[in-house]
Amino acid sequence: MGIDPVAIQALAAAIFAIGLAAALLRRNLFIILMGVELMLNAVNLSLVGFARTLPGDASLIGSLVPIFTIAVAAAEACVGLAMVICITRRRDDADADAYASMKE
Amino acid sequence: MLHSLDQILTAIYFWGFASAAVLCAFGILFGRHPLNAAICLIGTMLSLAGIYALLASPFLAVLQVLVYAGAVMMLVLFVIMVLNQARDHVLPRFDKLSLIGAALPVLIGVLAVATVRHDHAALTSSATAVRAGVEPVATALFAPTKGYYLLFELVGVLLLVAVVGAVLLAKRRLDADPGTTDHPAGDAANGSVAQAGQNGKDAHHGH
Repeated sequence: MGIDPVAIQALAAAIFAIGLAAALLRRNLFIILMGVELMLNAVNLSLVGFARTLPGDASLIGSLVPIFTIAVAAAEACVGLAMVICITRRRDDADADAYASMKE
Repeated sequence: MLHSLDQILTAIYFWGFASAAVLCAFGILFGRHPLNAAICLIGTMLSLAGIYALLASPFLAVLQVLVYAGAVMMLVLFVIMVLNQARDHVLPRFDKLSLIGAALPVLIGVLAVATVRHDHAALTSSATAVRAGVEPVATALFAPTKGYYLLFELVGVLLLVAVVGAVLLAKRRLDADPGTTDHPAGDAANGSVAQAGQNGKDAHHGH
């Protein structure tokens, strides 16, 4: 049936690793949030890819779980962006290093 | 081994979408501007929607385009513009400290691929997998014997809480006096709403 599941999982792993790198290595608040979104997308792809290896009705579960993941990701983006608005209001700076006041 | 036209086309589409997704993901990692990164993220999400459609999950593909590429990324772009982060400047990419952390994503990616390769034989696409269109998904989601519909209701509550929390976080001050806000030249509609809120509070205090 077409696509090799291993290729899908490899693609999901690659996108997850790039998203993790964007969230860890970059300092801009927006790019950190986008890295988190990218990781969530990669996990959804992995779920769908694994579900296609299951027989019969069990393969539907892999389409149900991403629905909830997408809804929770929308909630996460909503609250995360509100937090970004909140902290950039204190100082007009979207650099995460500008908010290291706990270190001093 | 003779391949049918279907298989060849599926392979072409899959590798096209996959390379587009990975290229756009790298565009986020190396993006010099938040808007460029956001556009790249939309590209990745649209490519993933194409892959879902190839994987016989058309409902998820539509949901991915509607919710992720449509709603969530619209919100991200909107906030970037509202916070005036779309200025004509370039972001620094990495500093020395962040490059130390580069080992972790590389390690995780390599480990994940190696794990999947190890159990290669167990991972074969099932011939009896159901095409996840709207009707089978809805039947499974709202089946009374399984608990998914409860989860569905809970997600609704979660979204409501998230919206209320976002409004609370992003509002300037809850008990702001309309006369002493940071922007005294706010438009008339805003002022009257704030005034009404103030009146309501006064009435409450009067009790």
